[in-house]
Amino acid sequence: MATSLSTPKLSTTLSSSTLQTLLYRHKFSTQNHSPFIIFPQSLSSSSRYSSSFNLSKKALGFLSDHRRNAILKSRRFATRADSTNGAEPRYDYDLFTIGAGSGGVRASRFASNFGASVAVCELPFATISSDTTGGVGGTCVLRGCVPKKLLVYASKYSHEFEESLGFGWSYGSEPTHDWSTLMANKNAELQRLTVDVDGKLYTAKNILVSVGGRPFIPEIPGREYVIDSDAALDLPSKPTKIAIVGGGYIALEFAGIFNGLQSEVHVFIRQKKVLRGFDEEVRDFVAEQMSLKGIEFHPEESPQAVIKSSDGSFSLKTNKGTTEGFSHVMFATGRKPNTKNLGLETVGVKLDKNGAIEVDEYSRTSVPSIWAVGDVTDRMNLTPVALMEGGALAKTLFANEPTKPDFRYLFSQPPIGQVGLSEEQAIAAYGDINVFTANFRPLKATLSGLPDKVFMKLVVCAKTDQFDATIGVHPTSAEEFVTMRTPTRKIRNSPSGGKADSQAKAAAGV
Amino acid sequence: MSRKMLIDGDVGETTEETHYDFDLFVIGAGSGGVRASRFSAQYGAKVGICELPFHPISSEVVGGVGGTCVIRGCVPKKILVYGASFGPEIQDAREYGWQVNEKIDFDWKKLLHKKTEEILRLNGIYKRLLSNAGVKLFEGEGRIVGPNEVEVIQLDGTKLSYTAKHILIATGSRAARPAIPGQELAITSDEALSLDELPKRVVILGAGYIAVEFASIWRGMGSTVNLCFRKELPLRGFDDEMRALVARNLEGRGIILHPQTNLTQLVKTEDGIKVTTDHGEELMADAVLFATGRLPNTKRLNLQAVGVEVDSAGAVKVDEFSRTNVSSIWAIGDATNRMNLTPVALMEGTLFAPDYSNIPCAVFCIPPLSVVGVSEEEAIEKAQGDILVFTSTFNPMKNSISGRQEKTLMKLIVSAETDKVIGASMCGPDAAEIMQVGIHPSSAEEFVTMRSVTRRIAAAGKPKTNL
Repeated sequence: MATSLSTPKLSTTLSSSTLQTLLYRHKFSTQNHSPFIIFPQSLSSSSRYSSSFNLSKKALGFLSDHRRNAILKSRRFATRADSTNGAEPRYDYDLFTIGAGSGGVRASRFASNFGASVAVCELPFATISSDTTGGVGGTCVLRGCVPKKLLVYASKYSHEFEESLGFGWSYGSEPTHDWSTLMANKNAELQRLTVDVDGKLYTAKNILVSVGGRPFIPEIPGREYVIDSDAALDLPSKPTKIAIVGGGYIALEFAGIFNGLQSEVHVFIRQKKVLRGFDEEVRDFVAEQMSLKGIEFHPEESPQAVIKSSDGSFSLKTNKGTTEGFSHVMFATGRKPNTKNLGLETVGVKLDKNGAIEVDEYSRTSVPSIWAVGDVTDRMNLTPVALMEGGALAKTLFANEPTKPDFRYLFSQPPIGQVGLSEEQAIAAYGDINVFTANFRPLKATLSGLPDKVFMKLVVCAKTDQFDATIGVHPTSAEEFVTMRTPTRKIRNSPSGGKADSQAKAAAGV
Repeated sequence: MSRKMLIDGDVGETTEETHYDFDLFVIGAGSGGVRASRFSAQYGAKVGICELPFHPISSEVVGGVGGTCVIRGCVPKKILVYGASFGPEIQDAREYGWQVNEKIDFDWKKLLHKKTEEILRLNGIYKRLLSNAGVKLFEGEGRIVGPNEVEVIQLDGTKLSYTAKHILIATGSRAARPAIPGQELAITSDEALSLDELPKRVVILGAGYIAVEFASIWRGMGSTVNLCFRKELPLRGFDDEMRALVARNLEGRGIILHPQTNLTQLVKTEDGIKVTTDHGEELMADAVLFATGRLPNTKRLNLQAVGVEVDSAGAVKVDEFSRTNVSSIWAIGDATNRMNLTPVALMEGTLFAPDYSNIPCAVFCIPPLSVVGVSEEEAIEKAQGDILVFTSTFNPMKNSISGRQEKTLMKLIVSAETDKVIGASMCGPDAAEIMQVGIHPSSAEEFVTMRSVTRRIAAAGKPKTNL
């Protein structure tokens, strides 16, 4: 994955007790501003900047519907800061972005490419996010996709060592893992991707809120002993025995990571199965394969308390009992948008009950000149989707219309890739579908002797079934998709609304 | 081919009353032959098939059910590539925090033993597939006696004769050996996949995928590898930019390239085989691999007597339905020397008139190359109108920690007029998996970030358009 983010490192750092947010001038901006006082964290005005802020406030918040609609019409095609449109004031920037993560940076760069003047602001860098720390690159680069994938790579080697034995390799002594080397190299890589910032203040015709999300941990006794994913990516030492609470992708990915790095891993989930929302067959398959690797699942257990013992280890108390002896307890129980202290309500930006910014299909908030993309809107919290939302917004503001794909990829081990609808969703949407599956031991595993299996599935709308003429690359696993000729099962929904009647058929041979 | 055969039914020279022992008799039970047999049997045909007795190293009298792909091609090749890949991976693991003993051993014999177990297992499976489909398998050498008659020479010398409404030639191909003095000291890919010991020093002559793959395999296992080829770059016929990257990667991994070089002589010495190049250089080798091409296996089929036409290389000439000039005789797979790939042989054995455009393929060097559609050079030559080329070059994230300096290159060739992708290629980890399905993310997302044209090539003789 290439990260092309790079901005000049500015030398001056302003600090003040009111400093919550640092700004930097985006490298595409050509306007020259004299240094202003620091921009506060919230959008609510402060007396020092009242002149510029009143202007913004007037434009943003408390307009009559009529006035807002008039601006709406004119805004869509006159979003340049310097466009003189009668009473329209001149702004420092066409677009001001709060939050330099995936969505924010993408929207800013693209807007700039379309000729807009853009500025972005971001919290100073830290591996653990908080109300006052973040970093250019955002969750994806600093405490999400990138470090996660590096850790997944690291953890896969134990499996590779095991596999290699079947291919003739042998080791004088069994390889062991040194966590601190991994952390040091991982952090060096992250340092390479961050920048220092400077402090300035600006006004803008359009404001983009792309402040992302943060891990959510419920309020239970012993919460202070719990680590989240941010901390898990930067632990001082490797867990010997870890309890991971959660059944989503973050929980499972970390379960795979720590299991691969030779920790003892226990996963506690509230549901019966992991990965709610994913295809049922896939959920079963993943859990089975992970169990084979030694990960222990505790289904239908809800966390009630975390207790620290005298020897320093932790116990996790659930509705079913207490499990002891953990060196670490991690909660991967969801993420919430970072909107708590932004003061959005005072300017009229509507939030939902989780704190996500409500937006329309164009990523516009309830305030016509304020927009939001990425995790802060809690739509599909994936980097490529944030990129798409950001790019689409740049087009909306400074060119034309957005579109949205639907896909989902997960780095559990074994990794899952899902595109389009799950079987259950397809049945609901299309009625008549054909399902093709392949469940096999890949060539590599026949030699390694390990119990790894591959599961692949195609869900096809029965009317437009079209995979016969496709030809595959050989030998690979992907070519299995093109050998799926005979449906594993056909599901037909009668028009009278009867229940789906599925018939299982044996999968075709080679 | 099988469907066409059966729908055609009456081939015009026989009456409905003629009784044949078989509706279809297939000579050669490799990828194409087994596919055609099984599918024809599924459509209700009575099918017979013959194949030489099993041996990992093929000859005019030995082969085996499963054919080249299963026994001495795709499958064992991929197993060896997996085996070889672990070497460099183990090195990379250290940067990810793994403490690996300096003393790492690779046991070639163990890998080859497991390889043999696997190909025997598959050989058994292929036999079962045939019997499950009701196809009658004969062990022996097959030849064509007449338009509707075949003969199988069994191991004990006895000959069996059968009549068949249709005959299918699916005898595949074998490695060519150039006439270089001392050539008997060299091995081909067959032997390479069955060597007793890992050759510590290897000289490979050839520039195609087989040469390049073996270079990567042995280098990954720690051997010294010298790769000699006639042109400036290996993999002639592939996109030039990709060829250059493959060459750079091979060198980056420590393979010594000798471009524009041929071998003039092989001599056996106490220290191994002394190889002399046409530049006067002398190389010492424990094994010399000739990977200079493969030729169709048609010499002993008695084709001339029956009137089946072959080309100068010995490939059976066929029309788009895989039919020879004798209307009851058909040929598919490597014996016809069209696109010598297993999935293509499978396709030829199944469909009416297969579509040869946009067939993806891969070269399993390390890291691998995979392509579909036209190369940039082919596009310039053949496409109408302007060509847009999109590329993305980067060092994959995994290398950022391991410190390996090995770039991945991904490329799209687009017709400017139709905005359609007419060619795509990638050289980098997992290229073969990625090129087919574009599973997301991994490096595949680079494909969807290619927005800016890297270069635009105007159609020759046409006025240049403005971008």
